[in-house]
Amino acid sequence: MTPLAVSLDVFGSLDFWIGVGLLAATYGIFTLGLQLNVGFTGVINFGQAGFMAIGAYTMAILVVEAEISFWLALGASILVAMAAGLIIGLPSLRLRADYFAIVTIAFAEIIRYTAVNARELTGGSQGIGGFDGAFLDLSDLMLEGLDSFGLGDQFLLPLLIVAVAVFGLLTVGMYFLQRSPWGRVLRAIREDEDAARALGKNAFAYKLQSISIAAALGAVAGWFLALNLAFISPTQFDPLFTFLGFAVLILGGLANYFGVILGAIILWTLLEGLRLMDLPLDASQTAALRYVLVGLVLIGLMAFRPQGMLGKRQEMVLGD
Amino acid sequence: MEVEAAEAGAVEKERGRLAGLSSGASLSPPVVAGLIVASIAVALIVTQGLQPFGQTTVNGLISASYFALGAVGLTLVYGTLKLVNFAHGDLLTLGAYVAFVANVSLGLPILLAVLCSVAVVAAFGVATERVMWRPMRAKGAGLLQLLIMTLGLAFVIRYSIQLFAGTQPRSLEVDVTSSTSFVGLTIGQTQLIVVLAGFAVLLAVGAALRFTSLGKQMRALSDNFELAEVAGINTDRVVLATWIFAAGLAGLAGVLYTSAIGNMTPNLGFFLLLSLFAAVILGGIGNAYGALAGGVLLGLTQEWSTLLVDARWKLAVGFLVLILVLVVRPQGLFGRQERAL
Amino acid sequence: MTEQAVPGEPDRAPEPAGDVDGEAILAVRDVAKHFGGIHAVDGASFEVRRGSITALIGPNGAGKTTLFNIVTGFQRGDRGEVIYDGASIFRRPPHVIARRRMVRTFQITKALAAMPVIDNMTLAAPDQPGEKLTGLIFRAPAARRREKEVHERAHELLDVFGLREKADDYAGTLSGGQRKLLELARALMVEPRLVLLDEPMAGVNPSLGRKLLDHMHTLRDRDGVTFLFIEHDMDVVMAHSDEVIVMAQGATIASGPPEEVRNDRAVIDAYLGASVA
Ligand SMILES: Nc1ncnc2c1ncn2[C@@H]1O[C@H](COP(=O)(O)OP(=O)(O)O)[C@@H](O)[C@H]1O
Ligand SMILES: [Mg+2]
Repeated sequence: MTPLAVSLDVFGSLDFWIGVGLLAATYGIFTLGLQLNVGFTGVINFGQAGFMAIGAYTMAILVVEAEISFWLALGASILVAMAAGLIIGLPSLRLRADYFAIVTIAFAEIIRYTAVNARELTGGSQGIGGFDGAFLDLSDLMLEGLDSFGLGDQFLLPLLIVAVAVFGLLTVGMYFLQRSPWGRVLRAIREDEDAARALGKNAFAYKLQSISIAAALGAVAGWFLALNLAFISPTQFDPLFTFLGFAVLILGGLANYFGVILGAIILWTLLEGLRLMDLPLDASQTAALRYVLVGLVLIGLMAFRPQGMLGKRQEMVLGD
Repeated sequence: MEVEAAEAGAVEKERGRLAGLSSGASLSPPVVAGLIVASIAVALIVTQGLQPFGQTTVNGLISASYFALGAVGLTLVYGTLKLVNFAHGDLLTLGAYVAFVANVSLGLPILLAVLCSVAVVAAFGVATERVMWRPMRAKGAGLLQLLIMTLGLAFVIRYSIQLFAGTQPRSLEVDVTSSTSFVGLTIGQTQLIVVLAGFAVLLAVGAALRFTSLGKQMRALSDNFELAEVAGINTDRVVLATWIFAAGLAGLAGVLYTSAIGNMTPNLGFFLLLSLFAAVILGGIGNAYGALAGGVLLGLTQEWSTLLVDARWKLAVGFLVLILVLVVRPQGLFGRQERAL
Repeated sequence: MTEQAVPGEPDRAPEPAGDVDGEAILAVRDVAKHFGGIHAVDGASFEVRRGSITALIGPNGAGKTTLFNIVTGFQRGDRGEVIYDGASIFRRPPHVIARRRMVRTFQITKALAAMPVIDNMTLAAPDQPGEKLTGLIFRAPAARRREKEVHERAHELLDVFGLREKADDYAGTLSGGQRKLLELARALMVEPRLVLLDEPMAGVNPSLGRKLLDHMHTLRDRDGVTFLFIEHDMDVVMAHSDEVIVMAQGATIASGPPEEVRNDRAVIDAYLGASVA
């Protein structure tokens, strides 16, 4: 056997595709927020992982520590994330796009350090689990139904179904929101804030709305991340994940919500596929190889096809 | 005709910048900042005692040396090329690992290893300019495009290093155990060298920027790209010099960091990047002296904060300072307003 | 999160000018603005009569654009007062001023190149409940109705300005002159009472320029819209304006009917002192 022999079996397994589907749906929802900010508002949000962390931790802490109902906690986590979006946006959205990018990544890092350091609440680097009881009840119910298709032992399948359904609904929802007069104002702001203001649009208020909706989407992605692993810890909210979201965004194409679906599926198939292939590398090297590829994809796209797969060249206006 | 109007606009802006320069009102904020720092220092001495204050100050100066050296390149590249370089931190990583290869794998003496690493990283910086940044500028790439490209480059550098070197911590052949005490303050032998070397280079950098014609041109270009073009500075040459300078110092900063901390991992640069941004923003983006001062201030702030809150929070404190500065005075201590808004 | 609508603002076309007996729609009093050491605007005072076409002239660098910026809220004046339609708008944010039906164009056109022409137009329409998230949810039918009206109006205006066939193209594909027309058409979507035009004729070929001027007269005569425009071409100014305001070195040095201003000593000096652009 040559050292480079690679087994492609993994692509035939259901487990593999359930895993990919869950990641694609989770980071797809995550990236819908980035699309809203970057693709349609011209606001460079580098802190999406922070909003995801806020969503996941709020949900987990409310369920585990405050013993609030799981379903209520979901709603609460969205509100908290949106509030965080407002808090970070209010003072800093008036800054130029690149400064805002730096503020948001700093914000996300502060959130992550808080997750590491506020051990009593977050479990520190150990993380927290045990918040998903209510969801597992629902999941069991769904598995009973799935059993009749012979899929009763795919215990992540219910979560996948829910995640994909939510991702699909949100994508369509965002698509229609973008086609509304509200979305039209956003696009105007993306291109030229002053033109929008001269026509009576309160650009700042729209940017705030954009960032807090993105935060809400980040929070929803946070739920699925948490439910997928049944456990959350600070490493899952590394800035790396925001950048993977950007890879999804750019791959699929700026200013196109359906591009997010495409980008998410392609990126995660690639990443998970590489991880499971029999490469003659150890785990950290495989991880490294994945991200080298991500980096090359980002560079290549920006150099040769900045609009990605579905984006429109004419709408690449940011930062001119 | 349309072009004429646009040009008229550019000229108007130009005059605006000149007006900003001549206002003279930008002298006081650094003084104010100095007074604030001094009063914080006094308050800390009074409440926490002289010895703890002195010790944290020493620690702060250690990180100040590599913060400042890393930040000055980041700010110059930003100023000259409008490039928010998210790969700058990974140039520090590259510097550290080149030194490792030279020093440990090839067995070269540490001083030679440092020179190797400065040279290799500087060459790498020039290569990225030639292969990536210059062609992209020629294409008229926008802010977002360049930003994402730097992210991509950051990934490639960091994970290529990880691919070859793994994630286990590596150390240079430097003495990390023995330390010196002086008037009750302790500092590691190597750390002392780091501080001395770091600040010596800082002074040299400051002098070079101030007194050599290339340095003056670099600052002028970084502070005001269009103006420098109008004024006829040979921008291409200065841009290359900026990369050599920025990347070389980043390589050096990486080695200093690794020596001071005792080991290196592939994500050290990314980990430092936000602190470098904080230093840059503190000093005012594009302003070389500002970055030097910002690096020192940030190092001190982070270490002094350990007197008041648990040391686990010191990085978060640095980022909080970054956000506060951007909110309160987005142009930084030395910058001019129109750059940030 | 939601924006405050300007209370009591009718969402109909502007009222006709009524009898023109010197009532001012805009009054600028002793406005000043400096940038560092440059006094860009330095004690400018003038009035714009309701229903007039008023020209603002002055050598390059006289502070005309800066004055526009202060009046429309894009820059903060250092001192002074700006009264529009009986109320102060000094230092109010631009969107608030625009919603009171004062709209401006820019010296360097701001056609939104990455949006289709039709979206440029519909964007500008006021009182669209669908521009607010709450309106989208709770006033969906009203939003749809308004959108229909707005589209009709946009197409009418595009017809008038000869941009009909371009409706679905990206505005970035238009020529420089067409962009100027689009910017004016878009401004009219706001249903303005006062329109400020910063060098509308610059970079426009003469026949398009004519068209622009004709539109200005039609709109003034038919709808009572007031125009204040910055212009360098003296023939245009003399032929098309009811009043002329002259600025030099940040101050207004003369104003009155064109013939009068033409013979004003101070104006001649100002123009001889600086190059006529
Ligand atoms: N943002 C600005 N910063 C600094 N100076 C400015 C700025 N805008 C305009 N100026 C200066 O103010 C003066 C008036 O400019 P402007 O209002 O554009 O004149 P005009 O439109 O009459 O040609 C000029 O000297 C110009 O250089
Ligand atoms: Mg002007």
